[in-house]
This record gives sequence, C-alpha cells and structure tokens, in this order.
Amino acid sequence: MTVLHVVFKVAGAEYVLPAADVLQMESFTGATPVPGAAPHVAGLVQVRGRVIPVVDARARFGLPPVERSLDSRVVVAQLGARVVGLLVDSAREVLKLDPQQLKPPPSLVVEGAHGFVKAVAQVGPRLVMLIDFPRVIGEETLDGDGQR
Amino acid sequence: MSASVDLADFLPAYLAEAEELLGTGHRQLLAMEVSLRRGVAHPRAVRELFRAVHTLKGLSAMVDVEPIVDIAHWMETCLRNADRAGGRLPQASVEPLMEGLREIEQRVRQLAAGKSAAPVPAGLLARLEALEVAGAAGGGGVATGGAAALALEEALASRLSPAEREQLTTGVTGARRAVRLDFIPGADRAASGTTINTVRERVASLGETVKVLPLSGPTVGGGSLTFVLLVLTEASDAELQEAAGGPPASVRPLVVPATAEAPAPGLEAPGVLEEEEPEESRRSGGTLRVEVSRLDEALERLAALVVNRSRLSRAVAALTAAGAPTRELNAILQENARQLRDMRTAILRLRMVRVGDVLERLPLLVRGLRRSTGKAVRLALDVGDEELDKAVADRLLPALVHLVRNAVDHALELPEARRALGKPDEGVVRVATHGRAGGLLDLTVSDDGRGVDAQAVAARARVPMPATPDALLELLCRPGFSTRDAANATSGRGMGMDIVRRIIVEQLGGELALETRPGAGTTFRLRVPLTITLLDALVFECAGLRYAVAVGSVEELIEVDAARLARPAGAGGLCLLERRGSAVPLVSLARLLGLAPGAAQDAMGAKALLVRQRGELVAFGVDRLVGQQEIVLRPLEDPLVRVPGVVGATDLGDGQPTLVLDLAALGLARGGKPSRREASAKAERYLS
Repeated sequence: MTVLHVVFKVAGAEYVLPAADVLQMESFTGATPVPGAAPHVAGLVQVRGRVIPVVDARARFGLPPVERSLDSRVVVAQLGARVVGLLVDSAREVLKLDPQQLKPPPSLVVEGAHGFVKAVAQVGPRLVMLIDFPRVIGEETLDGDGQR
Repeated sequence: MSASVDLADFLPAYLAEAEELLGTGHRQLLAMEVSLRRGVAHPRAVRELFRAVHTLKGLSAMVDVEPIVDIAHWMETCLRNADRAGGRLPQASVEPLMEGLREIEQRVRQLAAGKSAAPVPAGLLARLEALEVAGAAGGGGVATGGAAALALEEALASRLSPAEREQLTTGVTGARRAVRLDFIPGADRAASGTTINTVRERVASLGETVKVLPLSGPTVGGGSLTFVLLVLTEASDAELQEAAGGPPASVRPLVVPATAEAPAPGLEAPGVLEEEEPEESRRSGGTLRVEVSRLDEALERLAALVVNRSRLSRAVAALTAAGAPTRELNAILQENARQLRDMRTAILRLRMVRVGDVLERLPLLVRGLRRSTGKAVRLALDVGDEELDKAVADRLLPALVHLVRNAVDHALELPEARRALGKPDEGVVRVATHGRAGGLLDLTVSDDGRGVDAQAVAARARVPMPATPDALLELLCRPGFSTRDAANATSGRGMGMDIVRRIIVEQLGGELALETRPGAGTTFRLRVPLTITLLDALVFECAGLRYAVAVGSVEELIEVDAARLARPAGAGGLCLLERRGSAVPLVSLARLLGLAPGAAQDAMGAKALLVRQRGELVAFGVDRLVGQQEIVLRPLEDPLVRVPGVVGATDLGDGQPTLVLDLAALGLARGGKPSRREASAKAERYLS
C-alpha cells in the first residue's frame, strides 16, 4: 500500500507532505505582511476567497532569502480546522511512497533541521524528507512578544 | 425650500414603505395571474393588491411624486372595479397592471438614487384607463346573488360585500368547507393567551379567513361580545374549535347544500357593532420596521460598553494585585461579560432576515424570463425558515438572480427541444436551502436543462478539457467568459459567473461548487456565512501598501506640514504637531509597522489620522488617502497572524488581502519600541 505525497523543494533539498493534507498549490504573487507576526510568517494571501497565513519555509528553516520566481509555490495544507500555506521554492511533482520506505532521520539531520524533519526516504538516487507540518507552521501559538 | 427639506426627511421611510408595498403588489398580482389562468377569481389577491396600490398612491401624494400618483390612481380604479366584481379581472389586464407596478418601481428607484421621478410613459395611462372601462362594463354582469346560499343571519350577511359572499359560496371545493367560527373573548381566555389576535393567527394557518365580524350581545359566560370568523378551510370542526380555545367557541357550516333546510341555529341576531375592528391590528402582527442604521448604532454603543468593560477588568486586576479583596468584583465582571455576549447576540439577531423573504423577487424574475425567452419554466422555491444577516442577504440576492437567469436563459431548452428529449415541456429551476451548520448556510440553484458542455467551454476558452467540476467552474468564472456569441437582452454577453463568484467567494468568504450532467441539468452549490461584519472604513496608503481603519475610530484627518513639526530632544524620533493649541505626538505608521526601519525621521507622511489612544490624541502619519468605503471585515483566526492592532483583513477588489488596523491598539502594543522585525534583525546582526 503506497501513499501519495507532494514533493517540494527548498534550497535544493527535497521535502514531502502527504497529499491528503494538501488542499491545493498556488503560484505566489506576494503576501500582505502582518506587522508583529513571527518572522517566518510571510503574510496573508487570499486563496479562493479564503484569507490564510503563509509561512516562509526558507525563513523557518533558517535559510537565506531568495528572490521569488515563477516557480515559487504556496502549498496550502489543512491542519485540523486551520488552513495554512507554506511558501516553497518550487513544487511540481507527486510521489508514491511505501510507508516502509520512510525511515527515522539520521541524528545529524534532526539537529540541523530543528526537528522539522520527521522521516527520510530513499527514492532511487534521491533522498526526500517528510516534514513535520504542525511543527513547521508553529504548533505553539505565539511566543511572549505576541501575548501582550 | 421647506417642502424639499420635509421631503428629504420623509424619503427614507417612504422608500422603505414603497419597496415593501411593491413587493406585496408583485406577489398578489402573480397569485392573481395563477388563479386567472385556472379560470378562478382570486378576490383576496385583488383586494390586497388594491390596498397596496391605494397606500402607495397616498404615500406618493404625500411626498409629491406625481407620476407615481397617476399610475397608482388608474391601477387603483381598475382594481376597485375588479374587487366589486368579486375579484374577477380579464386575463388581458394582468400585463398592464404588471407594467404599472414596474413603472412605479422604476420611479421609486430613481428617487432612491437621488433623481426625480420620470414622467409617466406614453400610453400606459391610456392602457390602464381602458381596463377601467372594461372593468366597469363587466362589473354589473357578475352574479352577486350568493347570499341566499349562506347560512348567516341577515344582520351579519348584510355586512359582507358581494365579493366576500361570492368568495364564500364559490370557495367550497372538495374537502374545503365554508364555516363560521364564533369566538367569545374573555379575561380568562386572554390570561391563557387566547385573544382575537391569536385566534386569527391560528385560524389563518388552518385556512383562509374571509371576514371577521364583531357582534355585540349577550354571550355564554356573561360576556357581551362575539367574534364571528368566516373561514374557508379543510380543517375539522374540532381543530377550529381548538384554535379558538375550545368551548364556548363554536363551529357551524356556512354554505348548506340546497336540499338541506338548515337555518342557522343559536344566536339571535343581536345588534351589530358599528365599527369593524381596525385594519391595523391585522396588519401589524407584532413586527416593527427599523432602519438598519439604528441597529448599527446600537451595536456601536455595545462596542463602547465592551471597551469600558475591559478597562474595568484591568482596574480590578490592579486592585487584586494590590491585595484588595476582589473575589466578588471578579464574579460580577464574569457575569457582566456573559451578559454583554448575550446582548450582542440579541442585537445581531435583530438584523437577521428570513431567506424566504430575500427570495421573494425571484418569481417575478422568472415570470419576466418566461415571456422574454419563450421558454416554459417553473420556479420551485424549497426554502426553510433559515435566517441570514441583512448584509449577507443583500449581497446574496444578486448572485442568485444571476444564477436563476443563467439557468433559464442558457440551460433550459425550448419546449419543442425538451419534448424531443423526452423531458416535460416545462423546465424547472429550483432554489433550495439545505439547513445551516457551523455558521454557514447551504443553498442550491439547480435546473433540469442541458447541462454545461465542458468540451464547448474548453474550446471557447482555448484550453484543454477541464478534468474536474472545479476546473470547469474555474473556466466559467473567468472574467468576461461567455458561451454565447451574441449578447442578449436578459443575460448580456458574459454569463456573469465571475460576478457570482466575486460575491459568494470573495465578498462573502463563502464557497461555490458546480455539478453538471450533460442532458440532465446543472446544480450550483452555494455556502455562505450567516453573518458578516461590515465596516465603514478609511483606506490609505503607507509605504506602498494599502490599509483600512474604521471611520469611527478616527477623530480627524489632517495634512502634515513638515516645516511646522517640533522634534523634542530625547523623544526617540517622535515628532509633535500643533493642533488647536495643544501638542499632539505624531508617529510614523510606516515605522510603527516596521515597514521603513531605516527611513529618515522626517519621512513622516503627508497626511495624519488623529486617533484617541487611552484618552489622548495621537497622530499617525500615512502617505496618501485612498478614500472611504464600506468593507467586509474578515477576522483573522489563525494564531500565526492574530496580533494586537490588526483587526482583520478585507478584499478591496484586487484579490489581495488588505489589513484592517486598530491604530490605537497598534500604537499601544508597539508604541515607541522598534517592531519585532527590526528587533529580530538587530538580534541577528549581533549573533552573526
């Protein structure tokens, strides 16, 4: 039994999310910045009438920002009642993964990825990383700064 | 001069009343037309229409709108004759009457738009007048001799108009009987909630009340008043008696078969009361018309209370911190919070309108389309008792009108074509509600027409065949997309689906979906929120981005004269401007938002919004004012973007969210200090 996953790239590395969690993928034409939101929040976009926050994957992974291009995508994902977008460098592929293929990440990856990587899978010559979406968009509500 | 001032004062009330009367008029005229087509008179509809037109005439005379008075006058004359003739009206008169209502409506719209009413169109009065003559000629010929068949003492029978008599005698069909229900009011009955008004309401749900006659004279139980309700109904005697609160109320048949000799037993006709019960009590029905602006005002007052409450709770928290015994105070505060919530709910409920009332216009629309397209179509309204906020309803209706129009115009086939396909000649357009869940209302607009031809749509849009219904809908909703080559009168060139989607999805934040089966029909599924928050907002630009604030939160808008700003030493870049003799701090909004961290300090913006922040005026410098407009506020619920000073987002029509700010809260939350983004940028610099 295989599970469909959406593949996306951030700074050359390949990540996957279960397709069942992904509502749609949108091209990125800019987000409305929200003053006072966490630094990894790129802002708000309107997707089919819905206003959703977008998390910048590069900022979240501590990577240097790049100029957004035509390849930039917002992966719109559902997390319980929340709908959040993840801004990635590109996303243009789906992949069938056997759960058996998913292995716990090497400790080096765990440290380097701030715990955002849940598992890795070897697909032919490629290594894809399954991300922990709730952690990436920030399970915690807001840190102290936002609580005043 | 004074006359025009009076008129302006009276106009909003006039327009509201006129609109309602026109609605009644259209409804009754349609009901009348349906009856006429079956060859039956509909005296009630004629009378209601007559009343509506009569009232319109009076009101229009008061605000001095001569064209409407003229049209209404001739319609009224024609209808009065029809009323006297037992509600009989030649079929041919429906169209001129419809035209009359339409012309009146058009003039009411003109008045609403601040214009003056156009003169009466040529020929209309002549057509209406011709009806009047025809009506008068026919009037005398109608038999009015139904009284003999009524088992009613003369004192009562004499108070019935010929039309009412005829209605009673001819209204008996199948299981429907004409009966008299005698209701004797009394203190004990009133105490248990049974009064003539409640009886009327209950009886109205059981059948058609033709007349209510008050009768004075001794009654069972020592009273002196009886109400005789003359009713056409299929309900049983027991049900009717129950509706009147049980005995001593009594039910007797009114129309007796010619063979049976049954004089009305009981009541010796006592003296009849002079005055019939005033018409008003029937009309009011416990409802009240209120301008929406007054409700909004109440909401605003409530908002002030909420603000005050949060100040109070801060004060109490300070007391608690200082060691004061505040347990009871806190309990009261909690109770107060609950009461405020309930109050808010109650006020919001006042703004709710029934979906059924919103859809009242659709039958008229379909009637017009039937004539203009030559298609046989029936509108089926399958609407529950769901309610929507007035603001949602006002936006939803145009979308539904578009969908219904498209269904008739594009989806339904002509009768011959339908017959060839084995479908009934008459197409059906169905508008239905499917209950509410989670603050959303589900509606469908469906037809049994030809379905959307995905291939043709794809060819026209020059794209590959859409694989899913969603993708097909996406194509249909492209601005300006049309499946027709030529524009036509009803739907114009575009199908207007882009407008439908704008309303449902973008304005209301709802959902729109499509199901279609070739040859079998199309269903549009709509899901809309029951309420939305509307805000009168000022839109301005700051550091290249647009923002909105509630108009009510801004005390004043001023020009900033950079040369006259004072920059006190040690104020951290804060400027002061002079306003009516006092110094007001001026904050650059761009800096506050962290949008221009390195900007020079004199880049304060050309305009400033004066806002009261904890009682003190603060000026927020912005670059440019865009304008004032009503916006739909979308609250931001995700914790990632729930930040102080940002109330929500709105769509100004560019498909991008625009932030709606609360400047006072923003200033308090971020006042003076560098924004978080600057802080984190600084922190990063230190770390690297």
